[in-house]
Amino acid sequence: MKVKVSKFILNMALLLLGILTLIPFIWMFFSSFKSNAEIKSLYQTFLPKEFTLENYITMNDNFNFVRFFGNSLFLSITVTFIISCTSTIAGFVLSKYQFKGRNLIFSFIMGTMMIPWAVTIIPKYSIIRSIGWMDSYAAIIVPVLFSGFGIFMLRQYCMGIPDELLEAARIDGANEFYIVGNIVFPLCRNAISSIAIFQFLWMWEDYLWPFIVINSEEKQVLAVGLKMFSGRFSTNYGGLFAATAVSIIPVIAVYLIFQNRFVDGITASAVKG
Amino acid sequence: MFKRKKLQSKSEVLLRNIVVTAIVIFNVCFVILPIGIAFVGSFHQWNPLKGTYNFLGFENYKNVFTNKLFWRSMGNTVIFTSFAVTFRVVLGLAIASALYSSLIKHKVFYRTIFYMPTVTPLIAVAFVWKIMYNPQIGLINKLTGLNINWLFDGRYALASVLLMTIWKDFGYAVVLFLAGLYSLPKDCFEAAKIDGASSWQVFRFITLPLLKQNTLFVVVTSIITYMQSYVQIMVMTEGGPGTKTYLSTYLIYNEAFEKYNFGYASAISFTMFVIIAFFSALSFRITNVKEA
Repeated sequence: MKVKVSKFILNMALLLLGILTLIPFIWMFFSSFKSNAEIKSLYQTFLPKEFTLENYITMNDNFNFVRFFGNSLFLSITVTFIISCTSTIAGFVLSKYQFKGRNLIFSFIMGTMMIPWAVTIIPKYSIIRSIGWMDSYAAIIVPVLFSGFGIFMLRQYCMGIPDELLEAARIDGANEFYIVGNIVFPLCRNAISSIAIFQFLWMWEDYLWPFIVINSEEKQVLAVGLKMFSGRFSTNYGGLFAATAVSIIPVIAVYLIFQNRFVDGITASAVKG
Repeated sequence: MFKRKKLQSKSEVLLRNIVVTAIVIFNVCFVILPIGIAFVGSFHQWNPLKGTYNFLGFENYKNVFTNKLFWRSMGNTVIFTSFAVTFRVVLGLAIASALYSSLIKHKVFYRTIFYMPTVTPLIAVAFVWKIMYNPQIGLINKLTGLNINWLFDGRYALASVLLMTIWKDFGYAVVLFLAGLYSLPKDCFEAAKIDGASSWQVFRFITLPLLKQNTLFVVVTSIITYMQSYVQIMVMTEGGPGTKTYLSTYLIYNEAFEKYNFGYASAISFTMFVIIAFFSALSFRITNVKEA
């Protein structure tokens, strides 16, 4: 009996918490189909009384949101791809090769994760300015070719690859590039997916760096676009709901598709770390 | 098992050289050089728009330590970080333990939901919450029947931002702790049950000590993240009302990229750097001492 009661309470508590977690998303989603008049009216319903696509259609009138979306997508995918590769290769070399200075390099990389972005962002901005990369995507992509977090996670994960497997491949005549491409990458799939989701999200939500290095509006990204939109049309709530929905829903979709692999990846590195 | 002592084939040496060279070049360009520039710059009056770069000595640091807003923002940052870290760890542990227990079905379903806010863009959810807090049209006053101007009332503003941050991030701790729990040896718990330990005793004397590594990981990564929060402030309150919700990193953002006082902003960020390093080291100490 006692077990039944606590089971009931626990389940109810979790259900409530789950609902509270989801409410902001659901509210945003439904509100994005309401007209501004309905959003501002005194009596509100959770579901739109009059379902309208107006916010999504007019969103692009004042700002080129489709363009922002495309730019963000391009940059996030490019950077995610690059970081997945560099992290896996570097993680493999730093975990499986014995050489002088290996631990020094690894500790240094760990150390870089502790450095607040505020310390390096100003000089990075001046470096980019002085080499003339302002307003170009090189300014966004090149400074993030390597990720400390990515190398750390993949190194943890690669340590779990049995040495015998690599030895066997070497004895069969495989060179290291073949091993990385055909053994290490497939084995690290889970860790790579979790890094990829994080990295995608970080690029997708990054506001400050694109804001300061990109000047022309047609090259700008979605996060900056959101801020510009709310700055210029602060009372167009419907538009803002639609714009936030557009920037949130793709990431949630990617997460729901890859979530199992993803959760396995983050937990593997954190538990061993 | 035999341990490989040195690299053997040509391709191993080649791959190692490529990787090491690339990492070194990258870190010199985007870590070491910038830190050097920022350090030197923090002793200068430095404004890239006006083109000024004059040596000031310790003037910037003196201004940092005598600036009331800096101390205010530091205080806010410490409050914000301690609450956010505490809630993240406590909620994360509690929910993970609940999900781990045999009383709950649909574990994956809950885990998916709780983790969802973590994978959404902070800047977008900050806008959603800003509208939720709106006293006229917002959901929160509508649901609770209260009439509070959450983000513009000095008593509630920081707490409101904090609530949003906790909502956004607790799922991360849930997933990490849950993974930690699943990696623990099951026989520990069974042995304790047979010896007649209560659930609380099992949690306090077995689970908690065994999860030390996970807790440390969550605490340290959270401290580093929260000490540097600025997006929610920039979107939701812009430091207001007055200076009630200024966080240090928002102050740096403001000085650097609204006012372009690069030298002064660098001085603040170096001061922050030292403080973050101190707190991270402290949390390592505390977590180790407690269980020793």
